[in-house]
Amino acid sequence: MMIKEIKLVLLLPLIIGATGCVSLGVEPWQRDLLAKDEMSLNGSGVDSALDDHIYFSKEASSGGKGFSGGGCGCN
Amino acid sequence: MNKNRVVRLTKNKDSYGITFNAMASPCEVIIQSTDKQLAAKLGELIATEVWRIEDKYSRYDHSSVCSAINNHAGHSVAIDEETYLLLNFAEQCYQLSDGFFDISSGVLRKVWSFQGAQASEGNNDKFPTAEQVKQMLKNVGWRKIYFDQKQITLEKGMEIDFGGIGKEYAVDRAIILAKQLTNSPVLVNLGGDLAVTASRLNNEPWQVAIEHPGRDNNHINFADMIISLKSGALATSGDARRYLIKNGKRYGHILNAKTGWPIDQAPRSITVVAPQCIQAGILATLALLQGANAEQFLKKQEIKFWARR
Amino acid sequence: MKTNTNIKAALTIATAALLGTSNAAQAETTSTAGVEESAWEFDSAFLFYSEVDRVSASEAIINATKTFADDQVLNLKLTVDVLTGASANGAVAQPNVQTFTRPSGNGQYTITAGDTPLDDTFHDTRVQLNGQWTQLIAPNYTASGGVHISKEYDYLSLGINGNIAFDFDRKNSTFSAGFSYFQDTFTPEGRIPKPFTSMLIGDSSSGSWDDDFSETRIGSEDTKTTTDILLGFTQVINRRMISQFNYSYSMVDGYLTDPFKILSVVSDFNAPDSGIAQDYIYESRPDSRIKQSIYAQSLYHFEHSVLDISYRYMWDDWKITSHTIDSRFRIPLGDTFGRESYIQPHFRFYQQSAAEFYQPFLIDGDTLPAYASADYRIGEMTTFTVGLKYGLLVNNGDDLSFRLEYYRQIPTNAGFDEPGVLNDVDLYPTIDAIIGQVTYSF
Repeated sequence: MMIKEIKLVLLLPLIIGATGCVSLGVEPWQRDLLAKDEMSLNGSGVDSALDDHIYFSKEASSGGKGFSGGGCGCN
Repeated sequence: MNKNRVVRLTKNKDSYGITFNAMASPCEVIIQSTDKQLAAKLGELIATEVWRIEDKYSRYDHSSVCSAINNHAGHSVAIDEETYLLLNFAEQCYQLSDGFFDISSGVLRKVWSFQGAQASEGNNDKFPTAEQVKQMLKNVGWRKIYFDQKQITLEKGMEIDFGGIGKEYAVDRAIILAKQLTNSPVLVNLGGDLAVTASRLNNEPWQVAIEHPGRDNNHINFADMIISLKSGALATSGDARRYLIKNGKRYGHILNAKTGWPIDQAPRSITVVAPQCIQAGILATLALLQGANAEQFLKKQEIKFWARR
Repeated sequence: MKTNTNIKAALTIATAALLGTSNAAQAETTSTAGVEESAWEFDSAFLFYSEVDRVSASEAIINATKTFADDQVLNLKLTVDVLTGASANGAVAQPNVQTFTRPSGNGQYTITAGDTPLDDTFHDTRVQLNGQWTQLIAPNYTASGGVHISKEYDYLSLGINGNIAFDFDRKNSTFSAGFSYFQDTFTPEGRIPKPFTSMLIGDSSSGSWDDDFSETRIGSEDTKTTTDILLGFTQVINRRMISQFNYSYSMVDGYLTDPFKILSVVSDFNAPDSGIAQDYIYESRPDSRIKQSIYAQSLYHFEHSVLDISYRYMWDDWKITSHTIDSRFRIPLGDTFGRESYIQPHFRFYQQSAAEFYQPFLIDGDTLPAYASADYRIGEMTTFTVGLKYGLLVNNGDDLSFRLEYYRQIPTNAGFDEPGVLNDVDLYPTIDAIIGQVTYSF
């Protein structure tokens, strides 16, 4: 039983490693879904800008996705 | 054969996208219209046509016309008009290329196993001997094929393969059907070979990104480029990933149908623009067959192209 | 090969025979260099933020983007917001009425027994302008530069930023590095208070008031600078998934204190009036802060829906650490309501630990620490946001959306014992807010 478990544990990183190196990414013609507006990392740009402003002035953290910035006297 | 034959419709900003899988590639149709019914109808029409061509001319499909012809090599096989027209086209290409383009050269893949080959010195075991190539070359030769409007006869051991023209032909057929159905601008993209019916609204061009299909040994990719297409088609020939290396020499997957050996110094890929997709595809392939002179060949013909070496 | 024949012409004839088309068709291409110039695209949004009994803010954004030939992108953004209402001044609630001096020094306000002291004099209008230029500088290298200016009645912020991104592996991977620099000048109404001096409370109409008030002030303006470095890596995982990882390092130097915030100094545990405020002193924060964060975001396209989920871990040398999880799930509704539409639930969770100098109050008689602030926003806190967005396509692909969110801030006790009467009042009041937004993109 122990041997089986060890094998599994050893295999798992290998599988992750293999898929990590070999199959990451897509060919240009497979970008149909990625090209959609809603798949953009900054898809809701205006929402994010407004949210960032609210949370910047209400919480102690800012930035991360973009610059944390100065910008207003609200904090 | 497990065929995933589904047509998907997605709404984009001012257009509908239709996607499906055919000919081992993701396929895409874009119609610049907000009419969903029209988009759905177009998608169904084009996908059905592409699948029809795939079923009819795929050499992997045992019930295809192509398989019927190959499986009865040595006997005559009845053909319809469409098949005759395709064979006639292949004949023209054979003549124009002085025999370099030959749809019967596919059997050479039995000794040249490029599929899955990696760019390393270690895969010499996939490299055929001169004798193997010579033996296999006996089964190649368009001149040994007899065909007319009703039938075709291959010599025993021979095979034909529509792989070099089938996808491009399907693009052109899809464009004809799209033009019959609608005046809205349509783009048809079958795994990188594509054509448009017209420019986008307000005479804007379609932006088509062409990226290098592969990477070199250091995983560094080449610059991509964007082509603005207002009408016509473009097709790409070549695939940088499929080659073998022996004694430091790189053998590409474009084979010389006359010698059975890969074309020396051929570009890794060539993209050509032409009024019809099948023309673009043939021109790209003919250029690759020119090896070191590929670019010169296309320049002389005043053809718009992009070559990757 | 027959290089002398016109292969192109011969092929055209062969193709016409195959497809039954005329050979008049032409392929027409233009500029191989890149994209052609586009029309301006606009995003406009109006947002309303309202806390129960506290601050209300209205904010309008208009964002314009134009793509020029060769993929150069110009982005201009104008933001205007108006803030009114009451904000916690940092003092603790008491069993009796409390009186405070307004930040301007002109007049006083009183707080009912048991209520958290709020200063209701906040009214500010802010105008912000951003410009950003992005372009390809070499194959696979994109550079971007921008300027920022924001002006309020008492605050001016000027900023610049630059970023460079390198695409590789068929544009499936992108490394980016950026910096930004902000220079802010604060000229608060009533000038800048001396840290840890007592708030002057009394008759503001008396002759000596102005001089006495000036005694508590050290200047009329102060500045702070913010320098950010941001390193990012973006990776397309597969046809359905894309991920981003960022590391950011931010140095803030200068005046980081809030001139409007005070701390209650209350009687100690053994005093007969234990917990009763004896004094109110202006807060004091260090003049530098180094913040770092790691951020990861992934987008996954299911059959139809899209999940957008991100996580941020932030830590700084004020000993604040925070976790933020933000997720959006976009579900297309097809054209159920006659138009193409979608709904998008939003959930956000945020938790922070307190700054090391955070104190909800000070104990009378204790030695003053080097720094202290009772601002709940740098205390221990958990916040939640739940929201729903409904978007639909109108006219010629214009996008109209409505968003309604509920935001709750739950400050918690970071381990401070409460003397006497403070046990009977709420030192960590929960704050509820509603966010409403309309966006129109055209």
